[in-house]
Amino acid sequence: MSSFGAWFWAIMIFASIAWYGFLLFNVGGKGGFEIVTLARTLGKRDPK
Amino acid sequence: MTLTPIDWGIIVVYLAGCMGAGIWMRRYVRDVEDFAVAGREMDLNLGIASLAATEMGVVTVMYTAQLGFTNGPAGATVGVLMAAAMLLVGTTGFVIRPLRDAGVITIPELFEKRFGKRVRWLAGLVVILGGVLNMGIFLRLGGEFLMQITGMDIHAKFSLLSVGIDWQFGYLEVTMTVLLTIVLLYTVLGGMLSVLVTDYLQFLVMGLGIVVTSILVIHAVGWSNFQEGLAETHQSGEQYLTAQKEQEKKQAAEVAALRESVGSAAAQNLKDRQAEEHAAMLKSQSAVLAKQGVLVVVEEDKPPRETTMADPYNPFASKGLGVLYVLWQAMFQLAVVTTWQTMISRVLSAKDSKTAGRVYRRTAFYFVGRFALPGLWGAAAFLYFWKAGGLPAGVDSLTAMPAYLKTVLPMGVIGILIAAMLAAEMSTDSGYLLTWATVIYNDLISTCLRKPMSSRAKLFTVRTLVLVIGLFLLFWGLWYEIPGNAWDYLAVTGNIYLASVFTLLVGALYWRGANRWGAMAAIILGAIGPILFLVVNAMVKANVFDASWKIRPEIAGFAAFGMSFAGMIIGSLLGQALGHGNPTPTSSDSQPKEVTA
Repeated sequence: MSSFGAWFWAIMIFASIAWYGFLLFNVGGKGGFEIVTLARTLGKRDPK
Repeated sequence: MTLTPIDWGIIVVYLAGCMGAGIWMRRYVRDVEDFAVAGREMDLNLGIASLAATEMGVVTVMYTAQLGFTNGPAGATVGVLMAAAMLLVGTTGFVIRPLRDAGVITIPELFEKRFGKRVRWLAGLVVILGGVLNMGIFLRLGGEFLMQITGMDIHAKFSLLSVGIDWQFGYLEVTMTVLLTIVLLYTVLGGMLSVLVTDYLQFLVMGLGIVVTSILVIHAVGWSNFQEGLAETHQSGEQYLTAQKEQEKKQAAEVAALRESVGSAAAQNLKDRQAEEHAAMLKSQSAVLAKQGVLVVVEEDKPPRETTMADPYNPFASKGLGVLYVLWQAMFQLAVVTTWQTMISRVLSAKDSKTAGRVYRRTAFYFVGRFALPGLWGAAAFLYFWKAGGLPAGVDSLTAMPAYLKTVLPMGVIGILIAAMLAAEMSTDSGYLLTWATVIYNDLISTCLRKPMSSRAKLFTVRTLVLVIGLFLLFWGLWYEIPGNAWDYLAVTGNIYLASVFTLLVGALYWRGANRWGAMAAIILGAIGPILFLVVNAMVKANVFDASWKIRPEIAGFAAFGMSFAGMIIGSLLGQALGHGNPTPTSSDSQPKEVTA
């Protein structure tokens, strides 16, 4: 049994949980503002 | 049914929120560019959320959990390779930069600039066949997950007496039909704008569900128990398989001896009896076998079969993976991130090529978790059923994960997980429906028209196509039986288009000598490998060919890419020699152009 493999996959699993948690707040916050900006930009255009 | 009113409340609020937000975006759709690529106004974080949500469907969760169930954490190797490919492409801008700068709506549109209208049309057809076929199993797999996690039988039905007829409806089919109807409603109305906003909501719900579930699974199993358990089940499973191989050798020798002394009919009888005895042993001894790390799958109308844990930490030595598989996946994932239209549509929706590269770089590691976290749930499911004395009847490597999760998740969390999986299913379905409808309109229909359609007619056509693909998905997807390992099936059918379109893209963007002869040869030869795989393996399954004829997915995959590249090079050189394929400047040399649709 590869102990390097066990360590490697443990890091991958825990880092994934941490990264998902981070993106949840980071992208969650900034993405909300981007939706508002997107809607404003599209709303300001002249109708075709 | 394991759902409480709290779980139901979470699910209903989520669905209503998604539908409301999706329909709200309808007001901003003016033309096909708004509908297909959100007016090219997508910024970084919305791009990350949308890409991550679209590429994480319930089908992804199911097959990555299946890989975890059979190969432990090593099953997530594909995720690591995909993340590496995204980082490479996001950093260098390989393919995505010139593609975004070309100002096209779809990949085949770029091919017209280099190879002509016919190649664009043919490439569009290949993209549609590969993509829509790939989408064929989404609904059923998603439905099976939902049925398992809510504790319902996947074959459960209810009856409705109407116009004197007793109609029978399956819960799975009705649930997935309602879900797809909601998705169709907001996708048809708002297109990519609705998809971006709903993807954002779905990204949040999905992320929350995945993080909470993963933490609870680790807490329930205990990390050291998880690692030690996987090592123990792997070793004892290997011992069983070695003993089983020895016995099979002995039995084969007995059959061969009988064939020589008595005849082939008697030998076949013995072979059948041996198979029956083995099946009876698996059924009667399943609890004993479970203690040895062997889980027996018992399904109706199928002989029982055993599952063991492959090397959980080393993908190069893990059964079903291996060096060739890893190499093939490295190449396959590079093709996926540069060619798969649903991923590329986020590149084409980005404000500019710089934003597209940043979206790729920032999303890269998400793809490790896309495999590693459901893989963790799948591996934990293996350990749970090992300790519990075997798999319940009707549960296999694909459905073991949801069957396990319903036993460890508390009230409320099941609701969050179901909402997360609904989010995963909806975001994938909406993204895929929109993408394939756009390709059909942009590359198959508009190229055949002598007179361009009005803006309103274009929009109506794409909306109708979304609806038609949705209906196709409903009937084809819900009644389709998954053949064997879902991941290999998806990978190989996707290969039908990935190999040829990847070759065409690389040729179009980076080789001045590429021409339409090479492009045609690349498309045709790139499709032969995967089709041959499906046909030969179907014949092996039907006992027309011997089992030694079976082609491994990685061999078919390499063959497809090799043949496609060979077709591009030989065809282009031949075309040049015959004076039919004058090379044109590469798209990366040309100035960005406005959308033609």
